[in-house]
Order: sequence, then structure tokens, then C-alpha cells
Amino acid sequence: MTSPWRAWALLMPALLLAGLGTAAGAALTLRMSLHATGTGAGLYEPGSFTLAHWMSLADEHHRAIIGATVATGLAAALVSTAVGYLLALVAATLGGGRLGWVLMLILAPRLSGVLAALFGLQRLVPRGWVGSALAEAWLMVPYAALILLVALRGIDPALPAAARGLGAGPWTVLARVIWPLSLPAVALCLQLGWVWGLGAFLGPLFLGGPEQATLATEMHREAFDLGRWPRAAADGLALAALTMGAWAWGGRREAA
Amino acid sequence: MNSSTAGNAPCCAPGEAIGLEAVSFHHGAVAAVDGVSLSVPAGAFVSILGPSGCGKTTLLKLVGGYLPPGSGRVLIAGRDATTQPPEARRLGMVFQNLALFPHLSAWENVAFGLRATRVPGAEIAPRVNDMLARVGISAAEAGRRPDRLSGGQQQRVALARALVTRPFALLLDEPMSSLDNHLRQQMRDLIVKLHREAGIATLMVTHDPAEALAASDTIVVMNRGRVVELGDPQTLYNSPKTVFTARLLGPANIVEGPTIGLPEGTRALVRPADIALNPATSAFTRRVVVESVEFQGGHWAATLADGGFRWLAHGPGFPPPGTEVTIGAARVHPLAGEDSP
Repeated sequence: MTSPWRAWALLMPALLLAGLGTAAGAALTLRMSLHATGTGAGLYEPGSFTLAHWMSLADEHHRAIIGATVATGLAAALVSTAVGYLLALVAATLGGGRLGWVLMLILAPRLSGVLAALFGLQRLVPRGWVGSALAEAWLMVPYAALILLVALRGIDPALPAAARGLGAGPWTVLARVIWPLSLPAVALCLQLGWVWGLGAFLGPLFLGGPEQATLATEMHREAFDLGRWPRAAADGLALAALTMGAWAWGGRREAA
Repeated sequence: MNSSTAGNAPCCAPGEAIGLEAVSFHHGAVAAVDGVSLSVPAGAFVSILGPSGCGKTTLLKLVGGYLPPGSGRVLIAGRDATTQPPEARRLGMVFQNLALFPHLSAWENVAFGLRATRVPGAEIAPRVNDMLARVGISAAEAGRRPDRLSGGQQQRVALARALVTRPFALLLDEPMSSLDNHLRQQMRDLIVKLHREAGIATLMVTHDPAEALAASDTIVVMNRGRVVELGDPQTLYNSPKTVFTARLLGPANIVEGPTIGLPEGTRALVRPADIALNPATSAFTRRVVVESVEFQGGHWAATLADGGFRWLAHGPGFPPPGTEVTIGAARVHPLAGEDSP
């Protein structure tokens, strides 16, 4: 057996498991979303067929929810990347013990339980869309900061030194050398933050008001509070489509 | 004076381009540079030569402002620059790994310093094009990013980038260490040519004595953070004061004085190329046995056994191993005795 075939054969079980798992999950969810809501003990009405749950995604209520979801995704991506970049810039200049302390600070949101942290945030930020978006961004900051720290530390220190030797001040070095060289990591953080923010659940739940429902909180409400599992399934697939769209956009950018 | 004028007025500081006054720098408890004083006159080509870890690159970074001296003063064009950041010193530096910006084309790399110092836009293109032409980079090559250029082309772009801002002095940190012999020779010639054309003071760090001997007006020999001795290449090569310098600059026979008729307690340097077989006139003669002979391209090298001592000789040819011959040397250089600081 040639080596590429051997590699594919070794990969196949994992690919099959992941592919079938994802495809089967999506197919079952899609199937549920095309049924009427169950009136008895079942999650949906067997033998029924309806597009009503999909049609409802276009109604005013859902348009607002999808808008809030996209806005939360954008805010989480932008804020977490911006804050992560600043933290990473500081950390990248440090070494030894001081770096350890800054890393502790960066990781703080993930060192305590998420729920405990969100209860704390409730006291610090106003409830509403801003609060919920900030909460999601705050949870994402450690990932962004660590990715960016690795990227910044990977920049050859001779490059900023060379720029300074050529007469560039610190801001010019940042804008014309460090920033462009860290752009691939910035793009990755934006992509991750966007996907993370799209799935925002805890932030809107703890810090959002009634107007700040996202697709994730709406799914929860439809399924567990209202028992409308088929509608929750349609919401879930809409969220999955948004997420995959984000990855496809990121992938196209990377290829370009 | 605004940065634009300061950064790009033609450099013609009379007198001293770079001065170091008792400059020291410590890595922890280790003195990387220990009380070094040095003067690089305007227009001079000075090489700092020494083994790895002797402090020569640290010294260059102190001059460039990339490290703060623990004590002493750094003078650039006669002004105290000890606390100035690199961007205020007006020095062009070529780093050992070249440090070309990978996201910019060769052209943009060269233009970087002009843009950073706010040279008027209309001046930038002519100056960049002129400098790239002087280092032999074509327009097509100028449009490529560094990773699409050969090692020699990258080296030329780095030189152009350092010179285009018309700095007070050029700092070269082992600029040819990554090149093969052929390219090294070409680059050395280019550096010397540009140095002569621009008349710019140049301070080059190298561990290659051939580079230092060929290019420099003055060689500064360093070891363990200190200057061992300095002088012009011929004087240092032929009449070094220390065994360290004698060995660093090239193959050397370091012989005890009495072996060649000098007083007890002295030592002397005899260069292998100065040794002659059966000389008509010589400062000394020794009967030796040819131990080995090998061809080294431009000459033959022989090891000659003289009791427990081994002479190294270079010449156009030697008798086969086992032959007994008489050797002498036209030039013998007594050494001061101290090896190095």
C-alpha cells in the first residue's frame, strides 16, 4: 500500500465518525424542523410536514434575534481581538516572572468558573446588549490574547530593531512592521471571536435583557420553556449556517 | 531641527563619526563589553574582529542604541548619543540575519527609512531607484519580496536600505556570514566600493580575518569584552603585540625566543608564508623533518617537525614527508608576551 493510501486509511475512521456524526446530527435536526410541534409526549408530531418553522425565521421577531446574534458575534470578535492584541503586545515585551503574572491576568476569565465570572460581571457592566456582548468578548479574550501572543513572539526581534534603526518611532514600528506581520493571527482571532459570539448564550442569558435574545438563547427558550422542539431545530440550523458562512468567508480570505 | 531634516541631510560630519568612551555593558555578572574606548573617524572603515562571544556584536548594539551602556559614553558625530534611541542616531545598520521586512517588496524595504523619516514623496522614488541600481538590483528584482530573492540579492537590498537614508555611519553585523565564498568576495567588493563612493564611516563586526584584513583601514581586535589591540591591517598582521592577535589574524608559528636566537623568556611570530627552505639569508635557520604536505589551492602547506615543535610552512612546494631540510625566515616578529586581556 502506498503511503498516501495508508495515510487516508489511517484517517478514515476519524473522518467517518466526525462526518457521519455531524451529517447525521444535522439530518436529524433538519428532519425535526420539518415536522409540526408535538402535542403529546413526543418532541414533534410524527407523520406531519411543515415549512412554518423555517418561514418563521423571516418574521420580525426572528429578524431581530438574528440581527442581535450577528451584532453580538461582531462585537465579540472586534472587542476580544482588540483587547487581546493590547494584552499580547504588553506580554510580548516581557520575560520571566513578569510574563507569568501577565499570563495569569490574561487567563483570569477562564481560571474561575464561567458562571461565577458572569455573576461578577453582572455587578460591573450594565444589563442589555452592551453587557451581554462585553461578557461574550471577555470570555473570548484569553484565547485571542494567547493566539496573538504566540504570533507577536514569533516576529523576528531584529525586524522592529531594524525599523527603529531606519528612523521609525515606536508607533511607526507598530503600524508598519508589527501590525502587518501579525495580521494572519488577527484574522484568525476575528474569525474565532465571530463564531464564538454567534453562539452567545451565557452572556445574553446573564447580562442581556428580554430584547437581547440571540439564536442560542431563543433555541433554549423554544425547546425547554415552550416545548417547541421543531422550531428550536430550525433556529439551530440557522445558527449553524451562519457559523459555517463565517468559516467559509475566513477560508476564502486565507486562500486569497 | 525636525526629524525630516535631521534624518536625511547629507552626512558629512567632520572628524569623528563614532566615539566610545569607556563603554561597559554587563549580561548579569558577566562583562560583555568592559571599558571599551574607540574612535571611528569620518570616512574610515573599521572592523571589530574577535572570536564568538567576545562582545563585538554587543558593542555594535551599544553603538546603534539597541542596548543601553551600563557606563561610559557613546558619541555620534561628536554629540553625546548615550541615551538616544536608535531612531535618533542616524546610523544605518545591516543585521546579521539582514532583517528585511518580509511583508514588503525589496523596493518598499529600501523606501522604509525614507518614509519613516518623512522625506518628501517626490524624493523617495529617485533615491530608492538610484540606491538599488548602485547595489545591482534590477527593477524586476526590486518588486519581489525578500523570500523570492537569492541570499546575495537580499544582502544587496539590506545594504541599500541601510545607506539610502544617508546615515552618519554604517554598522555591519557579520554581513557576509551567511554567504558562500564566491558571493562573500562579491559582497566584500561591493561594501568597499559603496564605502568609498559614499565616504561614510563604517564599523563592521566580523569573525573572519580575511574580511577584516581586506576591507578595513583599522582593525580592532576584541576578546572577553575588551580591546586587545588595534591598528591597520598590515601592521596588525605582520607585527601584532599579542599571541592572541597573531593567531586570530591567520596561521602563525609562535616560537620561544631561544629557538630562533632571541633572548630567554621572549616569544616571536613567524608567519608560515615567511618560511623558506634553504634560505640564502635568514634571521635564523633550523634543521627540520617534513612531516606532512598538503595542497591547499593557492599554495602547499607543510608541517615540519623540529624536535617537539611543529612548524607550519606555506610555499609553492615541499619535499616529500621524511625529508630533512633547513628552514629559515626573512621576517621574525617578537611578541610582547601578553596573550590577551
